[in-house]
Amino acid sequence: MKMYQKREKKDDEDAAGSNPFSKLQKTAVLQEARVFNETPVNARKCALILTKILYLINQGETLSTQEATDAFFNMTKLFQSKDTTLRRLVYIGIKELSKLAENVYVVTSSLTTDMNAKEDQCRPSAIRTLTTITDVTTFQGIERYMKQAIVDKNAAVASAALVSSLHMAKLIPDGIKRWVNEAQEAVNSDNVMVQHHALGLLYHIRKSDRLAVSKLVTKYIRSGLKSPYAVCMLIRIASKLIEDEDSGTDSPYFDFIDSCLRHKLEMVVYEAANAIVNLKCTSQRELTPAVSVLQLFLSSPKPTLRFAAVRTLNKVAMTHPNAVTACNVDLENLITDANRSIATLAITTLLKTGSESSVERLMKQISSFMSEISDEFKIVVVGATRQLCQKFPRKHNVMMVFLSNMLREEGGYEYKKSIVDTIINIIDDNPEAKEAGLAYLCEFIEDCEHVGLAVRILHLLGKEGPRTSRPSKYIRFIYNRLILENAPIRAAAVSSLAKFGAHCEDLLHNILVLLERSCLDTDDEVRDRATYYLNVLKLRQKSLHNQCILNPLQVSLVGLEKALQQYILEPSVTPFDMKSVPLATQVDKVEERPKKPMVNGLTNEALPNQVSKAPAEKIAATRQDIYAEQLAAIPEFVALKLGPILKSSLPIELTESETEYVVQCVKHIFKRHIVLQFDCTNTLNDQILENVRVSMQVPDGFEEVCTIVCPRLNYNIPAPTYTCLEIVNDDTSMITGTCENILLKYIVKDCDPNTGQLLDEDGYDDEYALEDVDILVADYMQRILKPNFGTAWEEIDSEHEVEETYALSSFKAIDEAIKNVIGFMGMQPCERSEKVPEGKSSHTLYLAGVFRGTDEVLVRAKLAVNTSNFESGVTMKMSVRCRNPEVATFIALKRDYKEITNNPIPNIYAKPLDNNILEWHFAMRGAQQTPYENGLYHGRIEFPVDFPFKPPSFYMLTPNGRFKCNTKICLNTSNYHPEAWNPSWSVASLLIGLYSFMNDDEPTWGSLRSSKEERMQLALMSWAYNLQDPIFVSLFPELAQECKRKISMICSSKMIKT
Amino acid sequence: MPFFGNLLKFLGIRKGEANILVVGLDNSGKTTILNAFKSPENKSEEIVPTVGFNVEKFKMDKISFTAFDMSGQGRYRNLWEHYYKNIQGIIFVIDSSDSLRLVVAKEELDLMLKSEEIESKPNIPVLIFANKMDLVESMSSVKISQGLGLASMKNRPWHIQASNALTGEGLHEGIQWLSEQLLQQNK
Repeated sequence: MKMYQKREKKDDEDAAGSNPFSKLQKTAVLQEARVFNETPVNARKCALILTKILYLINQGETLSTQEATDAFFNMTKLFQSKDTTLRRLVYIGIKELSKLAENVYVVTSSLTTDMNAKEDQCRPSAIRTLTTITDVTTFQGIERYMKQAIVDKNAAVASAALVSSLHMAKLIPDGIKRWVNEAQEAVNSDNVMVQHHALGLLYHIRKSDRLAVSKLVTKYIRSGLKSPYAVCMLIRIASKLIEDEDSGTDSPYFDFIDSCLRHKLEMVVYEAANAIVNLKCTSQRELTPAVSVLQLFLSSPKPTLRFAAVRTLNKVAMTHPNAVTACNVDLENLITDANRSIATLAITTLLKTGSESSVERLMKQISSFMSEISDEFKIVVVGATRQLCQKFPRKHNVMMVFLSNMLREEGGYEYKKSIVDTIINIIDDNPEAKEAGLAYLCEFIEDCEHVGLAVRILHLLGKEGPRTSRPSKYIRFIYNRLILENAPIRAAAVSSLAKFGAHCEDLLHNILVLLERSCLDTDDEVRDRATYYLNVLKLRQKSLHNQCILNPLQVSLVGLEKALQQYILEPSVTPFDMKSVPLATQVDKVEERPKKPMVNGLTNEALPNQVSKAPAEKIAATRQDIYAEQLAAIPEFVALKLGPILKSSLPIELTESETEYVVQCVKHIFKRHIVLQFDCTNTLNDQILENVRVSMQVPDGFEEVCTIVCPRLNYNIPAPTYTCLEIVNDDTSMITGTCENILLKYIVKDCDPNTGQLLDEDGYDDEYALEDVDILVADYMQRILKPNFGTAWEEIDSEHEVEETYALSSFKAIDEAIKNVIGFMGMQPCERSEKVPEGKSSHTLYLAGVFRGTDEVLVRAKLAVNTSNFESGVTMKMSVRCRNPEVATFIALKRDYKEITNNPIPNIYAKPLDNNILEWHFAMRGAQQTPYENGLYHGRIEFPVDFPFKPPSFYMLTPNGRFKCNTKICLNTSNYHPEAWNPSWSVASLLIGLYSFMNDDEPTWGSLRSSKEERMQLALMSWAYNLQDPIFVSLFPELAQECKRKISMICSSKMIKT
Repeated sequence: MPFFGNLLKFLGIRKGEANILVVGLDNSGKTTILNAFKSPENKSEEIVPTVGFNVEKFKMDKISFTAFDMSGQGRYRNLWEHYYKNIQGIIFVIDSSDSLRLVVAKEELDLMLKSEEIESKPNIPVLIFANKMDLVESMSSVKISQGLGLASMKNRPWHIQASNALTGEGLHEGIQWLSEQLLQQNK
């Protein structure tokens, strides 16, 4: 004993001023723990040892299972001591060791005794400890005590039991559900905390059943809750319910949340305001009261309230910037707030909502205390800057300087990454900012400790650098990396250098010297790359440069692996054909929108047999591979020898989303076949569909070869049925069309909604009409990315070029037109040409794609906004280059038709005959302030088979006084002068030409000379004349109706005159 | 210090205190026996199967007992050994009416007595309660001692006591024997 005391004293001396536990040894402490076995227990001594053990565990010391179990059982002996402090330490010890030791359930009875003890001191802690050691096997033993504890008079005990139940619900969800009555009773407690916790448990128990939750919310909205915490929780549950049910702001739950804005406690008011601004369905009107409440909080003396309000407003500023502008004055006041977090959020919020003029002032303000805030907030600032750049591209100078200053300062990886991301984004969006941005990034990699960032920047330099005004200035920065950095960065630098060499003739010589030096590098990868690039560049062949350096391979990696495997398995003399490998699908972020949640709250992930699209971007790259696997598993398709999938379209909804059956169609394009995959979902729980198949009217040029029937469609489990079409006509002009009269056919059998058991063996046949499916040009087109479009363009001879001009009159702005053109063509925009710099009235779009898996198609489209003409809209001059001229022509004519019907030229209507695409009919209204003003003229265009290489011919059918009827009209553009024909003229431009030519009086072949009066007379008569033509009436039914109206008007006006 | 502590341990009871281990098969009445020793205001109204163990304290015949009431269910029996250390007495409870499992009880008893911690301390007395003697089908204590082979236990003080934990019959006598043994050793 004396010895012990002495040692303790010494320990105390050591401890003076320093951590008494700093020199603890695990084994020594565990040895000491044997003291626990002594009787009687020395509470103080044991408490000290226990503290040591806990200290060690919290310092990250790891105990083996054996050590932990020994220590645990030693500790259980301490239950004989009645000392409260020691007992509480034992509880903590049990909690800590329960995850490490075995057989921890041994203390179950001891803890249940404690939780039912007469003194309240230890009861809550005993309950909490008990839950950490309870598993499925011991659960039943404690259930009764937990139920009692939940409704205990002592609030601390009840709260502990409720919260512990929530924790246990993770492990034993079904067991906890049996406690619903107790939880309900506890909600009626007078104690604020108990009520809050009880509501939480009750919600947790019912949360999977939406109906039960809505009942719960309705009940407590009506009866009212005393506890503000519980009200806050109710607000959260209610707002979740609104989102789930999509019920919008008319729902009674919203009224409740709204009424909470007038609650007497700030906490509840804030919660309600936060819920309202976070709801997706709120409009400006509902938002205003919530925002004004937050505005009030902004000037609160309590910093927490100010912080909460400014943080929420910051979030709202993204979605509803206008709503937040009202708070600008209050936000301005917070810029100088003593709390830096509040100030940062205030500034970033202002940046989001502020006007262009205030940007500079705010940036200055924020840079003054940038060094005082944490990385986390710096990232918030960077994020705000990025948004600002998108909003005010002209301010990029200020932003760039600001960002580069931040880049120079100390900061963690996440922070630096967000800055680099932002700069790259600005460069992407704004070509003017490119050179400055690249310069800052160059400066950054001079002293950059993050390998990933440096590699990324080097890649960017390789891509963008060669095309700047002075590429040579970047070489120095890249070469420095080659000398100073580690292997991955050096390798990236070599690739980057090679791109400069391939692109800039004048630098090639110097680059070769630099690459030669890298051939002596110590790292294999660097040497390999340098040798490869050196040899390619030495040959000085432009096309080789393009293939090997500038435009790399674009195949799907999974597909390449499969194809190579296949090739090795079947020995053959022919070399491996790269063309047989499916191309990598370009991830299109615009189209790949997140899927709508399925009906009845079931999400896609929960359903088997359908491609889960949860992480949209990740899956998209391999989506096609998944489809390919699914299709390959069907023997009928294997027998058809379909070959690899060229392209799978995105799912098209063929039904409204809330109907009995939901059907989506995916078009899989093969070399000679098209497989239509219909994913059907049965949303009626009292029906089972059997023998589900799709019938349709197949368009010309196709033949239905087989149908794969879906044998059984259970409730809410989607299953596919397939229809395979063969492309029978080799003529490329026949490969598009519309599948009409699509019917889903099936046998309906009634079943029990709960068990899914069949009630009716026979069932009856039924069908369900679906929307039409179009097979479009875009379906055949695979997107490929040409990192260097210019060189790829030059590679294809200009003689394979077809030019077209279009009036896209339905689009007012270029970017809108571009989006539609890309969508229609199904091609990949290159060189970021899909982004239009602000304020430009003309723009060039580069598109690349592969048609039917073989023909590479490049498109250069120059778009300009029509400002000179009285008609507004966008004009597009499009050049198509493709080694296969047939393909280029096909795209031209087909798209023409589309263009004119979709975007009508004012006053001109044109349609081909249903049975002959080469004969078009048009109708044009007479131009204002000409003799033809009151007329409608019908005519005919005949296209030669080799259009657009030969011109079409025009015929006027309605008597007009300008042209002879049914006689070829001589236009520069018509086939009367084939030598003057230019293939780039489109049907639209030809018709516009004819239209203006009619208004002139210039004589030509087929023209007539008649008086103005005569022409006016003919104009009035034209309506009746047209009605006599059956082709006119059938092609233009709307116009025929108009004719009838017009005739009656003309008649009545004549009557008045006479 | 450890040496000093061990010395104390060897001396057994100090200041009239004793640690005892209460073991036996499940449903033999261990918790009920201990409940009978408690003061009337501390008595539990209903006894449920013990999960793990319970610590009970009671005073009798000048000795304060700290009893580790172990769970008798099969899956918890292997936990007994954690509590063999530092005990001065063992109470083994038998359900006299359960003749079928008497062999199981014997096995558990033998296993315990053969464990290193117990075998090395032959002075630890073993008190056997032949509980539930009130039941008609219950065996006599003689029969039980035969069944357990107690006669072969020669190097250790033992005593078998018929008891009825519900009425308290026989309990006091049993504890009295145990106290005597412990006090004797302490002299």
